[in-house]
Amino acid sequence: MSQTDTRVGGVEAPPTLGGGRRPYWTSRRRDQLTGYLFIAPQLLGSVVFVILPLLLVVWYSLHEWNVLAGTFDFVGADNYAALADDPNLGSVLRATGLFSVGLVVLNLGLALLLAVLLNQKLRGTIVFRTLFFSPVVVSLVAWTIVWGFLLQDNGGLNGLLDTVGVDGPNWLRGEGSAMLSVIVVQVFKNVGLNMVLFLAALQGVPAELYEAAEVDGASRLRQFWRITVPLISPTILLTSIITVVGSLQVFAQIAVLTQGGPGTSTTVLVYYLYQQAFQFHHFGYGATLSIVLFGIVLALTVLQWQMRKRWVFHES
Amino acid sequence: MNRDLSPRTKLVLYGVLLVLAIPFVFPTWWMVTSSLKPVSDIFAFPPQLLPVSPRLDAYQRVFELQPFGRQYLNSLYIALVVTVGTLAVSALSGYAFARIRFRGQNVLFLVVLAGLLIPSEVTIVPLFQMFFKLNLVDTHWPLILVPILGAPSVLATFIMRQFFISLPGELEEAARVDGLGRFATFWKIALPLSRPALGAVAIFTFLHSWNLYLEPIVFLSSPEKFTLPQALTQFVDAYGGPMWNVQLAAASMTALPVLIVFVIAQKQFVEGLAHTGLKG
Amino acid sequence: MKPGKSLRLTAAALAGVLALSACGGGDQAGDDGPASLRMTVWSANEAHLKLLNEIADEYRKSHPDVSAIKFDPLPFENYTTTLTTQIAGGNAPDLAWVFENSAPDFVSSGALLPLDDTLKKAEGYQYEDLSPATLKLWQDGGKLYAYPFSTSPFGVFVNTDLLKKAGQKTPAELIAAGQWTWDAALAAAGATQRATGKAGLVIRDFDYKGWDNLSTFWAGWGAQAWSEDGKSCGFAAPEMVEAMTTLHKAIFTDKALPGPGTTADFFAGDAAMTITQISRASLLKDDGFAWDLVPLPAGPKGPYAVVGQAGIGVLKKSPHADAAADFLAFLTNPTNSAKLAQFFPPPRQSQLTAETLGKTNPKLKPEQLQKVVVDGITSGVVKPSHAGQAELSQQVRASLDPLWKPDADVKAVLDGVCAKIQPLLAK
Repeated sequence: MSQTDTRVGGVEAPPTLGGGRRPYWTSRRRDQLTGYLFIAPQLLGSVVFVILPLLLVVWYSLHEWNVLAGTFDFVGADNYAALADDPNLGSVLRATGLFSVGLVVLNLGLALLLAVLLNQKLRGTIVFRTLFFSPVVVSLVAWTIVWGFLLQDNGGLNGLLDTVGVDGPNWLRGEGSAMLSVIVVQVFKNVGLNMVLFLAALQGVPAELYEAAEVDGASRLRQFWRITVPLISPTILLTSIITVVGSLQVFAQIAVLTQGGPGTSTTVLVYYLYQQAFQFHHFGYGATLSIVLFGIVLALTVLQWQMRKRWVFHES
Repeated sequence: MNRDLSPRTKLVLYGVLLVLAIPFVFPTWWMVTSSLKPVSDIFAFPPQLLPVSPRLDAYQRVFELQPFGRQYLNSLYIALVVTVGTLAVSALSGYAFARIRFRGQNVLFLVVLAGLLIPSEVTIVPLFQMFFKLNLVDTHWPLILVPILGAPSVLATFIMRQFFISLPGELEEAARVDGLGRFATFWKIALPLSRPALGAVAIFTFLHSWNLYLEPIVFLSSPEKFTLPQALTQFVDAYGGPMWNVQLAAASMTALPVLIVFVIAQKQFVEGLAHTGLKG
Repeated sequence: MKPGKSLRLTAAALAGVLALSACGGGDQAGDDGPASLRMTVWSANEAHLKLLNEIADEYRKSHPDVSAIKFDPLPFENYTTTLTTQIAGGNAPDLAWVFENSAPDFVSSGALLPLDDTLKKAEGYQYEDLSPATLKLWQDGGKLYAYPFSTSPFGVFVNTDLLKKAGQKTPAELIAAGQWTWDAALAAAGATQRATGKAGLVIRDFDYKGWDNLSTFWAGWGAQAWSEDGKSCGFAAPEMVEAMTTLHKAIFTDKALPGPGTTADFFAGDAAMTITQISRASLLKDDGFAWDLVPLPAGPKGPYAVVGQAGIGVLKKSPHADAAADFLAFLTNPTNSAKLAQFFPPPRQSQLTAETLGKTNPKLKPEQLQKVVVDGITSGVVKPSHAGQAELSQQVRASLDPLWKPDADVKAVLDGVCAKIQPLLAK
């Protein structure tokens, strides 16, 4: 049988040697089968462990599920209508927005700064690279517990500030400082990862471009904005998508550090969902909030992906 | 950037780096030193940077209060199994999506990708019910099957796909001409070349499994089956007050080995990450 | 047919089956083999569990059809959430401890088995011995749904060493002089804090989150969280405003209580006094500081007592509900009740004497037992509870947060609490 070009899309009947019979299992079809087999575990897993639970969650959101009484009554779109009447939802969405924006800006900014610093010709940057990356490998729960400790009013951080004469606030109990604290704890945990990605991207920028700019008399800052940023923009886009999606899923830190308080200032959507479903036992409403969360994540991701045409620099 | 810097600039840069490093290093430092202090010293004001009279009884208590050794092994073997399983599943899928043409692959890829967008809190209740019906709660099966086949491995597939896309097509063409079938091409040519990507995936996956918190709490109820992050939260006295020094000792034991391995292997790790094609 | 398609069809069928069986989760068939019972508890205290297991072992000797009885400690802080999640996931225990604050939810839900018949029929049970006041919270429509195995009054544990060090009179002396009031207690606490640097008074388990523990304070002013029928908010009432203003001053001006975010553990010697239940006596070390246990100080409205309760209920859904109820009857019969009295004061009137309690409670003196425990149980008011407890409690907690700042406007914050919870109370 003659060779078929597997890179052509669509099913093609291969030329036959003689007569009119076409065998079913052409190499093209065999290749397709292989393709399906290769992805089968992942696809099956996705359907059973991702799609199916998601559908079940949608199903729950259409019911009023009283766990203790054991009732599960269909209420149609009532839970969704309740979203509009929920007095807490506004502040939850605000807190979520504040948290995500703060996290993404701080995380990406710090990661870029660290990457730029480590990209300089200095000895011992490997040591610093390790130090900055180390929180990524430390267990999240351990990291959060230690910070919870340090942020107490009589804890390590205020003690440190005290030695330089600064009276630190009660970090986890003030409305603004609590939000700042959770953001900062999360940023320090993960920024090392983005830093490494930026570092790799920075190293891919050809040195000649900078040299040429030097010759033209451009300042360092100008070089940064005009050369560096555009050339690493694909990385910036990718890390920003990952960080935004991640920021909407941050749960453990808030659960351990502030429990959504003080007041409701750090109650972000995923934490509110947990409260509604697992603490107040409004499983139906919690399911509805899950769908809202999923919708937001989906929308933001699609948005960012579409924007790549606008501000990601393409080397065509 | 290869430009030489003046000694003054170098000094400033070192200074900045040192200051920036403090919040990264201080918590780990605090964790380890506090685990060696008696509880009353931990909250001493002004705080002690070094333990005044270091003692190891917190570490001893860790093992007395929980089957910690067992839990360590649990976390370890689960993470290893999940890593190997994910490597297999994601390499196969990633390769297929990147290199094989089959009908509906874009739609299927999007279906798989959806897993990245759904937080685990959203799916945990239905997943629990599923495993409960199968009588698999309080076993490690949910902690192994879901990461390998479900949402967490999607990132791995994504990374592998990016990598395989970036492989030059000529290598495979050559293999085809030599008469190698698709699987053999994958196994003998593409896979060995993907070592850096595999390395990065292995590390991501291991860390993710090692740090899983919500899932063990929901699925496991016997202490000897617990994993480390779950065990960490169990060091409370009879009325729920945390035993700080014991908790920190357990946290140190959880974090330090991974940290040490990382320090040794970090060159490979960082380079593996850089080659994942994530940089676009 | 393409192989991929058949894969997807199988997956869809599987999904359908799982979806149909996943909702509800209450169709476990009762089995006839030896029963294995599980009771969720919130105490991981070794001494508690040892005693419970001893009683369980004895029960199994005479009931071979029960193969195992397991006491399953869930974390105290999220106990009710974890229990309900277990039930939701289809993994309900056979018996469960229930906090008094979630009693209304559990009792009225229909999830618990009525216990009257089983208890009354048990041999030698002496059901009439149970004090009616203690049973009130656990009854609905004339039936008892959970047994209040522990009615534990709040008292003040005092570190007399610390007080003496600060040159303060001990509560015992103040009581003898008829001067054991909140004013005196707070003054002593503040003075001790200034003199020794250790915390003055700690309301245990409050930590600026568990607000229902403040009822041990505000009851002295005659304040309450909500009316008896649970329909009107009591936070904005004048008595409450007065009580909270006093408390706020004590925390932020006099520093008699530790502020938010500061932890002080009485049993580790870091506080002069603590308000907690007597079961915590097991935390006292024999070779530690000198201590005393006294009743709560009198408020402006006079002396008062506050009790917390804990009940044990049998889950109706359990496939072994009857066996579980039978075990519960055994666990709470007069003999075992006396054994449990060491940690959990029973609702049995005959056993609520200093003498009986003293037999199993070596740490506490008869006088302490009489004044704090016996008198407390007979006259005490129970900690606040309400239907829809979890959400209501969280709402109160979030609305009270602005109060815990030095410059808070007490009245305004309390008005805010009522504004937020009134709709929930009306449900």
